[in-house]
Amino acid sequence: MLNAHLNFKLLEMCSKCGACFSICPSCVNLPGYDPRIVIKDILAGDWEKWLTSKSIWQCLECHHCLEICFQHYGFENAMTALRTIAAKRGIHPTQVKRGWDMFVKTSKLGDPALPARKKLGLPEPAKSGAEEFKKLYALLKEKKAKSGKTH
Amino acid sequence: MKDFAVFWGCTIQTRFPFIEKSTRLVLDEFKLPHRDIDGFTCCPEKSLINNIDHSLFVLTAARNVALADEHDCDIVSPCTGCVSNLATVKGELKYNPVEKNEVNSLLKEVGREFKGTAKLSHLVPFFHDVVGLQTIKQKMKKSFSGLKIALHYGCHMIRPSHALKNDDPLNPKKFDNIIRALGAESMNFPTKMMCCGQGLDRVDQHDLALFMARVKLKELKSLGADAMVLCCPSCFLQFDNNQYLMEKEGEKLGIPVIYFTELLGLGMGYSAEELGMNQHRSDCAPFIKKWEALLKKPDDEAIIENDLNTAGALG
Ligand code: SF4
Ligand code: SF4
Repeated sequence: MLNAHLNFKLLEMCSKCGACFSICPSCVNLPGYDPRIVIKDILAGDWEKWLTSKSIWQCLECHHCLEICFQHYGFENAMTALRTIAAKRGIHPTQVKRGWDMFVKTSKLGDPALPARKKLGLPEPAKSGAEEFKKLYALLKEKKAKSGKTH
Repeated sequence: MKDFAVFWGCTIQTRFPFIEKSTRLVLDEFKLPHRDIDGFTCCPEKSLINNIDHSLFVLTAARNVALADEHDCDIVSPCTGCVSNLATVKGELKYNPVEKNEVNSLLKEVGREFKGTAKLSHLVPFFHDVVGLQTIKQKMKKSFSGLKIALHYGCHMIRPSHALKNDDPLNPKKFDNIIRALGAESMNFPTKMMCCGQGLDRVDQHDLALFMARVKLKELKSLGADAMVLCCPSCFLQFDNNQYLMEKEGEKLGIPVIYFTELLGLGMGYSAEELGMNQHRSDCAPFIKKWEALLKKPDDEAIIENDLNTAGALG
């Protein structure tokens, strides 16, 4: 399952390198956050336990590791792959689920603050594309159901 | 200069309309060909949407770019996340024709097509590269000389670089160049390039988000920064709002947080109230006060000029 998301050859290199650890803001600041261990576990086939861990959601997707990496790969790929699988199994932080629900329902993560706009003298906000978005999302789901894909 | 649609994104319009205010004032004042187009949705936010459904992430972003393609205009955004997400998808589709066809077969059903002709820029590199430092300087009525400014770039202004290609992703310069052009000192400090950490707030880890905000704000306090300047609503939320929450708990860090367009607006002569800066949660008044005092002081050049033109020691 992880194979679909990750390049194991590049991860092998990671397990010998670790160069991005010292510039990763989460590695430096958050006790217990260490993708080096996660990558070792992935390579050993022992990654299921990470799906319920807080760590995989602590990657800030800042892409610092990607940029400093000689393979242009980065720790983040391992964390993203695990988050994707966790989310598919319904294991995600409440706020991620809330954001997702709001997005698929309204096409946005919030509505323009109208009274505040008025006070500031801002023009009417442009129309949102919610209706068309919903149509597209329905089409996408239909297409996936037909092809049997889950993502 | 080609017309551009401003991509405001959800966070600015939902939580920080005053950022839209200062951005519009500045764009108008520079007479830039900006417009609003109907039909944009959330970019969408990568950390929330991509983890759950990559194909919906791609389809939504492609549709947003397609709208600008149709209007034959570019996109400029005051949100780093929006630009980075849209550019990531644009880049992905450029190099993956199969995926592009799949996306377009769906978009066709609603009468649209992703071409990817619209150029995507974040406001800061746009001002640096397209407007230009010289024009910026000409528009400024007041200098920020004598002020120490700590820039926070915002990761997604410059990364991932393969999609954005607008500055050095590890050692960017453009925002600094603008700050210096405004007369201020752009500080160097150890955590300058460190991510704000706001993402932790979106995954139910508020205490850790505060922890990350504190690391940078404390450093800036000890170095005597007059303000933090940034250009991303997520980073703004992290440093303005979360700083206020810490202050409410008795931890006073006192670093004014200023949006890029607010700083430009101040320099062009707008008041903090006109720019909506009184709606920040953390107080900007100390910065304004110090700045006004500096403006009243005659600068070195004027003092020398004065000495040369008046009766000096030699009578
Ligand atoms: S993207 Fe994630 S893993 Fe990479 S440096 Fe940033 S926080 Fe660390
Ligand atoms: S992501 Fe790149 S820099 Fe980081 S450990 Fe792996 S190979 Fe090294």
